[in-house]
Amino acid sequence: MEKLAGVSVSAGIAVGKAMIIDRPKLVIKRRKIDESAIDEEKEKFETSVRAIYNELENLIEITQNRDNRDILKTQKIILKDPEFIASINKMITKKLYTVEYAIKKHFSSVIEIFNNLENEYFTERSTDYEDVAYRLLSHILDLKQDRYDQLEEDSILITINITPSEVTRVFEKNIKGICLEQGSKNSHSSIIARSMNLPTLVNVHGLTEKIRNGNKVIIDGNKGRLIINPDKETLEKYIPLLEKEIRKKEELLTLIDKECITRDGRKISLQSNIEIPEELDQVLKFKSKGIGLFRTEFLFIDRKDLPGEDEQCEIYRKISEALKPESVVIRTIDVGGDKLSQLLNIEHEFNPNLGTRGIRISLKHIPVFKTQIKAILRASLNKNIKMMFPMISTVGEIITIKEIIAECKSELDQAKIGYDKDIEIGAMIEIPSAAITSDTIAEECDFLSIGTNDLVQYTLAVDRDNESIESYYVPYHPSVLRLLRLTVENGHKKNRSVSICGEMASEKTYIPLLIGLGIDEFSVSPGRLLMVKNEIINCSYEKAKKIAEEALSKKTYLDVFNIINQEEDC
Amino acid sequence: MIKKTIKVINKLGMHARPATMIVKAAAKYRSEFKIRKDDMEINGKSIMGVMTLAAECGSTLELIADGVDEEYLIEEIAGLFSSKFDED
Repeated sequence: MEKLAGVSVSAGIAVGKAMIIDRPKLVIKRRKIDESAIDEEKEKFETSVRAIYNELENLIEITQNRDNRDILKTQKIILKDPEFIASINKMITKKLYTVEYAIKKHFSSVIEIFNNLENEYFTERSTDYEDVAYRLLSHILDLKQDRYDQLEEDSILITINITPSEVTRVFEKNIKGICLEQGSKNSHSSIIARSMNLPTLVNVHGLTEKIRNGNKVIIDGNKGRLIINPDKETLEKYIPLLEKEIRKKEELLTLIDKECITRDGRKISLQSNIEIPEELDQVLKFKSKGIGLFRTEFLFIDRKDLPGEDEQCEIYRKISEALKPESVVIRTIDVGGDKLSQLLNIEHEFNPNLGTRGIRISLKHIPVFKTQIKAILRASLNKNIKMMFPMISTVGEIITIKEIIAECKSELDQAKIGYDKDIEIGAMIEIPSAAITSDTIAEECDFLSIGTNDLVQYTLAVDRDNESIESYYVPYHPSVLRLLRLTVENGHKKNRSVSICGEMASEKTYIPLLIGLGIDEFSVSPGRLLMVKNEIINCSYEKAKKIAEEALSKKTYLDVFNIINQEEDC
Repeated sequence: MIKKTIKVINKLGMHARPATMIVKAAAKYRSEFKIRKDDMEINGKSIMGVMTLAAECGSTLELIADGVDEEYLIEEIAGLFSSKFDED
C-alpha cells in the first residue's frame, strides 16, 4: 500500500483499477514555413510561452512542497531564458523552421549538453528541460490525437495532464475518477471535472512512477489523497463510504424534475454559476433555472489580444440560445489588474485585491468596457440576458455605467442593430460599502446579487487563500449576517430580487440561514445544484426565518455556529 | 567592464536553485553579464548557460559585468555566492 498526496479539485471517493494513459508521443516533422509566415510563427511561440508561464505560476501557488515549488520556479526561468528565446526566433527567421520543430531542436541540443556533463547531479536536471519542452509542444500542437480508445469503463484514469475536451470524452466512457501528475485546481479541465462531480486529483507528484497499470487504487477527493494497492483494512474502511456516496448521488438524480420549493411553499429560484461555456451540458442536464452568474474572465485570460465584439457576442448568444427561456446573467470582466497587465498596460500593484479590480478596470478602459457591453446587448435578442457588474462600491458607479450603456445603445441604434431594449442590470454586492449603501444601489438597479466570497474577505479583512489566517475566515460572522440582512431588506423595499452567488450558497449548513434571511435566488456551481435543491426542498421557510432571527441576535460567531449547526433539519 | 573572481562554497554547487537565483538577480540589471569557468564562458542571464557550467563546490568562477550598473550587479551576485545561496 502506498499513499500519495495531491490537490483535490472535486470531492468524492472512487475505487477502481488504474489505467495509465501515457503522454502521447509528440511527432514533430521537419517542416519549413513560408517567409511570409515568419511573424505568425513567432507570435505562436510568444503566445505559448505566455500560456505555459501562467500555468506554472498557478502551479507554484498551489504547490506546498518547497522542493517541488523550486522545480517549477526553475522551469519558469527556463521559459524566460533570453538565449532560448533568441535561439527559437533565430531558427524561425533564418532557417524557416516551424516553431515546434525549432523548440524540439533547441531542447534536444540542450538536453544533450546536460547528458554529457560528468557530474550526475547536474545531468539529472535535463528532466526540467524535457518537461518545459513537453509543456510547450503539447500546447502548440493542441494534442488532437485520440489517446483514450483503450480506456475501459469503471477504471481510474492516470495520466500526466488532460485537456478540457478530453475530460468530457473520458466522462462519457463512464470512468470513475481522474488522477493527474500535473494540472492545477482552477484549470478549465478541473472546472469541468468539478461540475461533473467526477472525483479528481491533480498535481500528484511521482504518480506515473509509483503506479502500474491494473493496480487497485482509491481516490479520496475529500482528503486529497491517492491510495495505491490499499490493504484489506483500508479498503473495508472506504467501501461503506463509497456506497453511501453512490446512494446519495442516485437519490439526488431523482430530484432533477422536482420543483425547487421549501416544504411550506416558498419558491426559490436555483441557478448555476459557470466559468466556461463547456459547463453548459451539466447545466442543461440538471435542468437549472437559468444561469445566475456567467463569468466572462475566460475570454480575456491567456491571450495576447483583447476579444472583439463579434467573438464575445457569438459566445453570449450561444449561451442565451441554449438556455432560453430561462435567464442568463452575464457578469462583465472581474479580474485583478495583474491578470490583464499585458493586455491593458496596467502598472504593477502591491495589493491587487484592493487595487484596480473588477469594475474599476472596466471604468478605466472604457473602450474595452463598451466592446463587452455592446457584445452583450447584441446577443440579447432572446430577451433572456441580464447584465451584472462586479466590485461595485458606490451607487455613483452604477450611474456612470448606465450612462455608458445608454451610449452603447444609441450607437447600436445608429447602426440599426437590434437588442433587448429592456435589458435588466444588476450590481454585485461584495464590498461592505455597497452592502451598507444597498438602498441607493437598489434604486438604480433591477436586481442585486451578493458575492459572499469577497464580501466575507473584505468585511473581515481576511485573504481566504492565506492558510495561516484560515480561522479568521468565518462566513457566518455576525458582521456578515448583518450585511446580508441589510442588503436583502434594502432590495426588497425597492421590489428587487436578491440573489446569492458565492460559495456560501452551496454549503449545506448555511442554506437554511440564507433562506431565512430572505434570499430569493441561489446560484451555485452545476455540480452542487441537486445537493442544494435537496436542502431547499427539505427546509421550512418559517423555521428558517427563526434560525436567521436567532443567529442575528448572537454576539459571537461561535454562538452563531451553534445555532446553524444544531438545527439540522429545519 | 569589471571582473571578479569568486569561489563556489556551497556544498551542492550551482544546481538548479542557485542557478535560478543568479539568473533572477541578474535579470534586474541592464548590464551584460557573463560567467567564465576555465575556458567556458556563458551568458549569466541564461539559466541554460548557468546550469551547463556545472560548477561544483570548490570551483573558481570569474564574474564579468559590463554596463551602467555593473558594480551593483557584481555586488549582488557575489553576495549570493558568499551567502551560500542560503543553503548549508
